[in-house]
Amino acid sequence: MDFDFSSEQYLLRDTVRDLLRRECTPGAVRAAWASESGRSPERWRKLADLGVVGLTVAEEHGGAGMDEVDLVLILEEAGRSLLPEPLLETTAVGAPLLARSGSDTLRAEWLPRIAAGDATVTVGLAGSPYVADATADLVVLERQGALHAVTQDRLTLQPLRSVDRARRLFSVTAELGDDTLLSTSAAVARWAFDHAAAATAAELVGVAGAMLDMTVAYVKQREQFGRRIGSFQAVQHKLAETLLLVDSARSAVYYAAWALANDTPDASIAASVAKAYASDAERRANAEALQLHGGIGFTWEHDLHLWLKRGKALELQYGDADLHRRRIADWIYATAG
Amino acid sequence: MNFELSGEDAAFRDEVRAWFADHREQIEHTRAVDWEAGGEAFERYRAWERALFEAGLGAVTWPVEYGGRGASMVQQAILNEEYTLADAPNRINRLGLGLLGPTLMVYGTPEQKARHLPRILACDEIWCQGYSEPNAGSDLASLRTRAVREGDEFVVNGQKIWTSLGRFGDWIFTLVRTDPAAPKHKGITFLLVDMHSPGIEVRPLIQIDGSARFAEVFFTDVRVPVANVVGRVDDGWTVAMALLGFERGGGLYGPALFNRILRDVVELSRREPRGEGVAADDPDVRRRVAQSYIETRVYELTVQRALTRLARGEAPGPEASLNKLYWSEMKVRLDELALDILGPRAELGPGSPQAENDGGWYGDYLYARASTIFAGTSEVQKNIIAQRVLGLPRE
Repeated sequence: MDFDFSSEQYLLRDTVRDLLRRECTPGAVRAAWASESGRSPERWRKLADLGVVGLTVAEEHGGAGMDEVDLVLILEEAGRSLLPEPLLETTAVGAPLLARSGSDTLRAEWLPRIAAGDATVTVGLAGSPYVADATADLVVLERQGALHAVTQDRLTLQPLRSVDRARRLFSVTAELGDDTLLSTSAAVARWAFDHAAAATAAELVGVAGAMLDMTVAYVKQREQFGRRIGSFQAVQHKLAETLLLVDSARSAVYYAAWALANDTPDASIAASVAKAYASDAERRANAEALQLHGGIGFTWEHDLHLWLKRGKALELQYGDADLHRRRIADWIYATAG
Repeated sequence: MNFELSGEDAAFRDEVRAWFADHREQIEHTRAVDWEAGGEAFERYRAWERALFEAGLGAVTWPVEYGGRGASMVQQAILNEEYTLADAPNRINRLGLGLLGPTLMVYGTPEQKARHLPRILACDEIWCQGYSEPNAGSDLASLRTRAVREGDEFVVNGQKIWTSLGRFGDWIFTLVRTDPAAPKHKGITFLLVDMHSPGIEVRPLIQIDGSARFAEVFFTDVRVPVANVVGRVDDGWTVAMALLGFERGGGLYGPALFNRILRDVVELSRREPRGEGVAADDPDVRRRVAQSYIETRVYELTVQRALTRLARGEAPGPEASLNKLYWSEMKVRLDELALDILGPRAELGPGSPQAENDGGWYGDYLYARASTIFAGTSEVQKNIIAQRVLGLPRE
């Protein structure tokens, strides 16, 4: 038994972390809030050059041929740094979905360009009122139980404004036909949803971890009543409880990645466990981060709200904690007693 | 990353599983009584300990030179899981096997090791832990039991409390104050006391579940040889903390217990009437059952992460506080869910014809309430996490 990552996996994580520390600072995220597209082609290019964008694309298509376990630590870093670009949609869901269900032609056309950083793919699954990054070159849409792969010439996009302005959301109208059909399999749709939920859980752990670190650093230096507020037991206990939730969430998230990578019988449930637990853990970190920062955390000027808003968005996408609890309950009670 | 047992570990699991299967009768015979009744009942539990010892399963992680088999922490965890799955009896000498034994291996004199380790292993000596006092609970270092040196002996006066197995103990490892003038963490000595010595009085304490599993131990002019000091005189805090490290390191509470409780809760919800149907039809019950599944599953996974680190030889650190905080609070929620599913039926105690499991759920719930208090309260665990993991300043 070895429930840990290899030194190579940690090395890749550290490399990505270093890149994002330089390229995805809070200032850069604010720039994404303010810019027209909200996206940095330069940053995407650097991630592609590192092999991150094509991480899950097979080597024959120019990718790194790695799996969900290799990717999960990277997604955690994307969450930690509030990466605006659609790594989750492209690398965690879109590209693997094309590889799994696309025709040879579709795969040969898109996967090499995705891996090279020349094309992005996003997904709009059932249950979501919007599609994130719908300006992507290819949009996979779930409509009436079928998955379609649609190019921009068949789409009409209506931009929606998210409270987290680094998120670029659109309502999408598509001209679908037999020529856009990717899959009618419910198992494939479920597979896509599981991947999206598990990847979102990984980002949530990154967001929550960043908020916890910021808050611990803040209470170590903020003084009231003549002492650092981090010395108060009321403050210490909130942060201890939050750490327990965030660190436990990592167990769930890492296992879900392994279960999906190995296509285990419990992979769907593992994804639901991860998304439910990580959503709740992030919710707690979100609450305590603002509460313990006090008034300064409620200002536009302080960076905390960038994390608060991303965290809240991710809590609710691809099934909130309650949806995943319902899914788990249905599975428990469907199993023979 | 992989979740397969190594060949060696799988072989160990098979061996242990087969052994428990072969000892089904003895397990049932032992569990038919409660050791707390004393006499023959207690002796059944001692016989069970001896059977484990003779099979080489008494203290698997002890080094071979001390009679163990030098097994890894992973194998200890495997044994714990199989133990729970086999529904095997409570261990009556876990304080000696799990806490004092490993401490003596590090701090004991050759004479102490030779005298006590084989007897602990064979269950010839039952050990108690004499740490807490009426005014020294979470603030353990404020303990006041005094030991005054007279020649080759210490004369001990004072009182210990919450002493598990106090009525059955042959020996007790205690913390006593040997230098009242020193700062409170100094001047404490770790002393082994024969509980059959003159001047020791044990008074059973009746717990909220009506049983008497722990006791008060009074010391009046009890004479203890200086040779029974473990470590150095006045340096007992060092030894006490090392022992606590074994308690926490070995205390990765087995996930199998919680998995089984959850399975029983699910089963209960399927047949407990609720309105026109059963509890499992109630969306609130389903939501809480799902949350309990999530929590037990995440616990199991977190233990596997911790075992991976231990297997690599990393020492258990303050992270053990996260583990204890997690399982103890989760256990209370699990038992509360069972009582809520039972509704008004939950309060029916042993002997009531309509009681579920003869009132066992309520008993489990009461015991769970102790688990957030013993071995460091939840509040103490949070202090440790805040200060030693997060690095927050002390008050």
